[in-house]
Amino acid sequence: MAISTEKLTNILQSFVTSTTDIQGAAVVTPDGLPLAACLPGGMDEERVSAMSAAMLSLGDRIGSELARGGIDRIFVEGDKGYGILTSCGEDAVFLVLADKAAKQGLLMLEIKRTLADLKAVLM
Amino acid sequence: MEIMRLVVTGPVGAGKSTFIRSVSEIEVVDTDRRATDDALLIKKRTTVAFDFGRLQFGPDMALHLYGTPGQSRFDFMWDILIQKAHAYILLVAAHRPHEFREARRIMTFMKQRSPAPMIIGLTHTDCSGAWDAANIALALGYPDPARRPPIVAVNANETASVAQAVISLVQFTWAGSLAPAT
Ligand SMILES: Nc1nc2c(ncn2[C@@H]2O[C@H](COP(=O)(O)OP(=O)(O)OP(=O)(O)O)[C@@H](O)[C@H]2O)c(=O)[nH]1
Ligand SMILES: [Mg+2]
Repeated sequence: MAISTEKLTNILQSFVTSTTDIQGAAVVTPDGLPLAACLPGGMDEERVSAMSAAMLSLGDRIGSELARGGIDRIFVEGDKGYGILTSCGEDAVFLVLADKAAKQGLLMLEIKRTLADLKAVLM
Repeated sequence: MEIMRLVVTGPVGAGKSTFIRSVSEIEVVDTDRRATDDALLIKKRTTVAFDFGRLQFGPDMALHLYGTPGQSRFDFMWDILIQKAHAYILLVAAHRPHEFREARRIMTFMKQRSPAPMIIGLTHTDCSGAWDAANIALALGYPDPARRPPIVAVNANETASVAQAVISLVQFTWAGSLAPAT
């Protein structure tokens, strides 16, 4: 694969370290394999990737069968934090794990910015 | 209307998604995505969440068919799906003996989590190099023919064949629910 894992990892790392309240991020293939990840200790990259792909595929189905259109984002809100899945072009899915303290507006902005960087590498 | 939930499981490419597509009366919900790993050696697309189909079985019963992903990185889906299953079929491609071990691993995973009745479905028995049922049973850990789950041959591409396998599974489940638990 021609995708630069190193570049992706760098983008994720700076995203996670420079944004407050972000605990982890990963870029995975739609069939659930990790392309790059920067996750909290103890979280298994393979498992996280597979779960992200499964979730996004179901979101896609809900989008089409329940007439919600193409899915931009899936948002999981728990009492300890957020899990946000954003599709990142045809060949990748972007997962972000954020703390409950995160400001949603800011979070979305940061995700949007990082998404553009990731897409540039994935092109 | 009674609903019976049947799970179709087994290794990558055994024919789980095809099986459900062959008998479902509704358009199947599939979550197949383009494969980027070893699954590519067998086929282009692979299931990442589950397949869902429905089949009316007599006037009072509907069968809900759930197909699992084959790859073990999705084992959290195996867990979710088996929890509510009334019965399940383990599909094994008879011509890929190197996958029997994986089939056995999936079977163990399911048995640890569910007491539901299971039958084994052998697919690809028409392909060259296919093993016969007795030897596959041995490879799956059933040396004694008198003490093993029912084994049926099924071609996932053929509606009649899949329907027959589904009937076997339902009948085996009924037979088990009449007899005292062992
Ligand atoms: N010749 C032959 N081909 C079969 C038979 N059963 C299934 N197939 C083929 O095997 C392939 C199985 O593909 P899928 O149904 O996607 O397999 P799956 O078990 O859902 O795979 P994953 O979702 O990746 O785990 C298809 O191309 C079927 O046409 C059979 O009995 N004989
Ligand atoms: Mg499948």
